Amino acid sequence: MKRLLLGAVCAFSLTVGTAVQGGVQAADEITVAALTFVSSSPLFIAQERGYYEEEGLDVSFEFFRAAQPVAVAIASGDADFGVTAFTAGFYNLAANGSLKVIGAQSREEPGFEFSAYLASNAAWEDGLKAPEDLPGHELGITQRGSSFHLMLGLLAEELEFDVDAVKLTTLEAVPNMMSAVSTDQVDAVILPGWLARRIEGEDGGRIIGWVHDYTPYQLGGLFTSSDNVEERRDVVERFVRAYQRGAADYAEAFHQFDEEGNRVFGEEAEALIPIIQQYTDATPDAIKASASYIDPEGALDVGSVYQQVEWLQEQGLVAAQADPASFIDLSFIDSHFNLPE
Amino acid sequence: MAEAVRELKFRGGGFAPGRKRWTALVFFALVLGIWQLAGSRGWVSPLFLPSPLAIFEALRAEAISGNLWIHLTASLQRIGLGWVLGTLAGLALGLAMGLFTLARSVGLPLVSAFFPIPKIALLPLFILWFGIGEASKLVTIGMGVFFPTVVAAYSGVDTVPRNLVRMAQSFSLPYSAIVWKVVLPGAMATIVAGFRITVSLALILVVAAEMIGAEYGLGAFIISAGHLMMTDRLLGGVVCLSILGLLAGTGITLLERRLLHWR
Amino acid sequence: MQVIAEAIGHDYGPLPVLENVDLAVREGEVLAIIGPSGCGKSTLLSILGGLLQPSRGRVLLKGQPQADCLNPLTFVFQDFALLPWRSVAGNVELVLEHHRLGSAERRRRVADALARTGLSDFAAALPKQLSGGMRQRVGIARALAVRPAVLLLDEPLSALDAQTRELLLEDFESLWVRERTTAIYVTHNLSEALRLADRVAVFSRRPGRLKELVEIPLPRGQRSGAQAQVELAALHDRLWGLIRAEAQSAVTELEHG
Repeated sequence: MKRLLLGAVCAFSLTVGTAVQGGVQAADEITVAALTFVSSSPLFIAQERGYYEEEGLDVSFEFFRAAQPVAVAIASGDADFGVTAFTAGFYNLAANGSLKVIGAQSREEPGFEFSAYLASNAAWEDGLKAPEDLPGHELGITQRGSSFHLMLGLLAEELEFDVDAVKLTTLEAVPNMMSAVSTDQVDAVILPGWLARRIEGEDGGRIIGWVHDYTPYQLGGLFTSSDNVEERRDVVERFVRAYQRGAADYAEAFHQFDEEGNRVFGEEAEALIPIIQQYTDATPDAIKASASYIDPEGALDVGSVYQQVEWLQEQGLVAAQADPASFIDLSFIDSHFNLPE
Repeated sequence: MAEAVRELKFRGGGFAPGRKRWTALVFFALVLGIWQLAGSRGWVSPLFLPSPLAIFEALRAEAISGNLWIHLTASLQRIGLGWVLGTLAGLALGLAMGLFTLARSVGLPLVSAFFPIPKIALLPLFILWFGIGEASKLVTIGMGVFFPTVVAAYSGVDTVPRNLVRMAQSFSLPYSAIVWKVVLPGAMATIVAGFRITVSLALILVVAAEMIGAEYGLGAFIISAGHLMMTDRLLGGVVCLSILGLLAGTGITLLERRLLHWR
Repeated sequence: MQVIAEAIGHDYGPLPVLENVDLAVREGEVLAIIGPSGCGKSTLLSILGGLLQPSRGRVLLKGQPQADCLNPLTFVFQDFALLPWRSVAGNVELVLEHHRLGSAERRRRVADALARTGLSDFAAALPKQLSGGMRQRVGIARALAVRPAVLLLDEPLSALDAQTRELLLEDFESLWVRERTTAIYVTHNLSEALRLADRVAVFSRRPGRLKELVEIPLPRGQRSGAQAQVELAALHDRLWGLIRAEAQSAVTELEHG
């Protein structure tokens, strides 16, 4: 019923045209599925600064505790837009034809510390001093096909070691990974940088490298349902515009460096932090520490997505018929880059 | 005028449900048929509800690759060992609670306090205590099995008619003989009924136990399939669990027939 | 062997059920205990059999049981108390298993007990397959298998229908004609007492006191003749008068209390 209603509203807005944006016509109601992570900030900024409103969109948020349900909510039509990290599960869902990736979320970008390789104290003593030493060790991850597993796969490709030489232990959730590494039950984990720093600060392990130094890659994306792309193209375009403005504000605020190459957070950042706090419940310091790189135009590193899907397919974690070309729609943003031939 | 004669209306029917094997099979086949039809006609997306054939295919692929057997044996070992450990410990405490005042005074509040704790919630703690290896998995399953077994054994002993114990005492049977020959067989019906529950619990808990640090196992397989959004494999794993549940139930029925043939 | 109750008294919590009972059971006699419901008859039997610790008084045993006796004081229960998971023979065997008997001797005793109670053909049957009367016969066979010095029968026939009761009564009669096992027979049925007992102990209503101890002058097995019937009828009336007075005042007490 709700979807029928939305369809009707959408059809109406198409016939009347977009000239009267934000004018007399009622705003299009849309639902955005998200995690309360700093990496979703452009969504929150666009809301708080009225960018959606200016595009004639009435946005309400639906928050989830894990990445998977966000994608499921879009696929099932319970939400219109979502932002999360790429995982094998996401790609399998997308390969099914119900999702379209239309923009970028965070990426591992040189200079931006986001994910860290963290060795346990025992393993460090035994010589696990760099990501190059990982073969022959046990790595704790949440699940097969998770971002962390993907990061290991990309590292193996980059450093040309056999990924099977790293023994994987699935620990379901990040807190379990943290307790496992700090009690020496696994040799290493890959963790969000600020958590890795916290463990290192408590002497529970040693950071042995940063993912952005080894394998910069597209962490996640902005996506919508295939139905939306086909039937409500206008709404999607308007949403992407608002999202891009949010991303630009975010980049302006959080992508700054001083002369020595250290990140700095100026007035713009201070202005955005309260907005992000509203949604993430994180302290200003935590926000700064976990502020990843988000493309100011929401542009995707398309080649990275192809590479991820290919590796996951080799591992048998993504269906062989999954084709990135079929679930990435490049038509909403001009500046996507690293396009495969 | 002759009195009208009418036949007495029977009013004693109902309230005696029986079982007919073939009705269940027909119903099952019908549900499967409709399900398959819904899938192959495209009424429902294969992602949301994979068709029975797709599930079968997914299972077949796992069986051919040999992975299914590795998963099955890994889980069966955990279920078997965890269940046996939990059952032995539960029987020991439950019988003690049925027989001794001290054990009952200590055990009853203990069981009331710890039984309702979801063992799954304690998994992170078990991992800290017992590591991410097999021990924490066995403890998870064993703990889940332990408490219902305690309750079953304890109330089983309570249901043994007092007069049988008095009879045994009146013939001067030694204490141990009364326990072995009177109390235990008398409590057996309740204990075996408890097995029916704990075997199912062990199957439920193996999924939780294998959430963490398990490379192989049906639970690990199901959870991984869920994360990978491979719903056909997910349901395939669930089907395996159901079959195990059915087999276990049949096994218990056979056990009941053997141990409780006198009923 | 003789059983002697000395100033036995018993309370269930605040409720006194037996008061100051002195009773000596003679060797070889059948002593019937009758009295209104709730007078503590069964309680007294439990005390005499060592299953219940009396609140006051003590039970003394005098003399030795015969050599082949395995369980001097042996009960026959009102509800039979058979293990439902054991066969007829298994139930009899249960009470022999903890004694040092050769397996041949054990089997002999089981077979003998079953033969004496007419159960030989039912050795393998389960209790649920037997009628109530047959089940009580298993209870009696079990008691006989240990060659008791004193049989303690706790209303052994009251769970049975009238016909079965009659048949078992005959069994008891011939049993006590054949072998003179001392027996204490608790019943609320006066005619059972008059058929079987050498003496009848009449108890008052709760708290139960020994009200009268009546000797039955006719030997068992000779109580069916016309002359005997007349004598017994007189005795019956006298005893019934005693019990009725007690039972009525018990009812009145209940109604007004």
